[in-house]
Amino acid sequence: MAYALHFPRSFEEAFRLLDPQGQPPALPLAGGTDLLPAVEAGRWHPGALVSLSRLPLATFERAGDEVLIGGTLPLRRLEREPAIGELLPGFAEALREVGSVPLRHRATLGGNVVRASPASDLLPPLLALEASLDLRSQHGRRRVALVDFLRGSWETTLQRGELVERIRVPVPRPGSYRWQRVRPANDISQVGVATALVTSDARSPWRIAAGGMESHPQRLSGAEAALPQEDPSPGEIEEAVHRAREGTRLKDDRRAGEEYRRHLLGVLLRRSITSTVERARSMKGRRT
Amino acid sequence: MTGEPPLTLRVNGEERTVPEVAADTRLLDLLRWRLGLKGTKEGCRTGGCGACTVLVNGESVLSCLTLAREMERQEVTTVEGLTGTPEAEAVQQAFAEAGAVQCGYCTPGFVLALVSLRREHGASPPDLPTLANELGGNLCRCTGYYAIVRALADLLGVPVTSELPKSTFTVEPGGSP
Repeated sequence: MAYALHFPRSFEEAFRLLDPQGQPPALPLAGGTDLLPAVEAGRWHPGALVSLSRLPLATFERAGDEVLIGGTLPLRRLEREPAIGELLPGFAEALREVGSVPLRHRATLGGNVVRASPASDLLPPLLALEASLDLRSQHGRRRVALVDFLRGSWETTLQRGELVERIRVPVPRPGSYRWQRVRPANDISQVGVATALVTSDARSPWRIAAGGMESHPQRLSGAEAALPQEDPSPGEIEEAVHRAREGTRLKDDRRAGEEYRRHLLGVLLRRSITSTVERARSMKGRRT
Repeated sequence: MTGEPPLTLRVNGEERTVPEVAADTRLLDLLRWRLGLKGTKEGCRTGGCGACTVLVNGESVLSCLTLAREMERQEVTTVEGLTGTPEAEAVQQAFAEAGAVQCGYCTPGFVLALVSLRREHGASPPDLPTLANELGGNLCRCTGYYAIVRALADLLGVPVTSELPKSTFTVEPGGSP
């Protein structure tokens, strides 16, 4: 289990240490809340851990109609940014449900995104918010939409030697996140549903994504298409719920059976839509 | 462990240099076995119980999920470091009045979690269900949550008007309906 531990002070040094050809591989260490137990349990055998703590990645910035969240910004700091609660209320309520406060003092958004856990509470809202990622490696930078970045449970298109520099989220966007778990705190969600509203789209202003599926969290485009207007009728909501339930393959494991998850998906979607409609009303006038 | 570099950090207000700290040493093990500060408890060692909570630069952190060498030049506070401070006296009094200690194993972690929340929220604490949720990362296997949440409420001046809301301790789907 012995590995080397490095603290690079520049990106150049970090990329050299994260050499994609290195064997055994060097892994970037952000908050470590997921990586360290995995290494200790023997699931990974890195030759080195490259701490990102000395790199200028724990940043937060509002730039025009986006917020730019640095890859190693601790989740608790993000959650306490007034701009997040004000501009992205659905994302704010999902942030409060990750792990616990002491865990969120170190866990980072970049780490949560690259792990691509099927049960992540942050990926459904980020998908519904149409977030994108700025990735950086020794070859330069690339931008990729989150929806294209996620490839499966625990699978992304992140290359070895590549870091998440920033997560970009458009603002302001009314939205909400609803979840169910066995214990209210410090547990993993069985199903999580995020909804958000965009300002202009001829097809539907709704963006819907869910976790607890057979694979990674995903957009539910069939359900979105059932909601042609911002303030949907009860019939339209029921049609969206119907399409979400019918068109989705859900996980079936010790945390919850597939049928129970299907039931939850419908209940949570209905509640999330209702909450987002209310928030859209109270955010009116502040939206671009 | 020969050849490993020394580590310099501040622990409970004092600069300490610990020789030969291996890369994979956790802050928890450094505190308990290299510095003899056994007030910090080991529970699950996977971030699920909060028994090992300490403060790093004033914020609650799980010392089992933190590499010791990440703490170079950082300020670490354990339960021993609170002894005799006005903050500790306030927490002790709140715990005593609420009857929030049973076997005591989880208590250091709870105390540091409480101190961190009190510093973060200052004069504008959130409502009681939110506070209770923010303590959710600390487990008490004597089932003493009611008294511990009460101690936190008293400490932050949050009124406990009647019984704590049932939803604080039972499972409801996330957020308000």
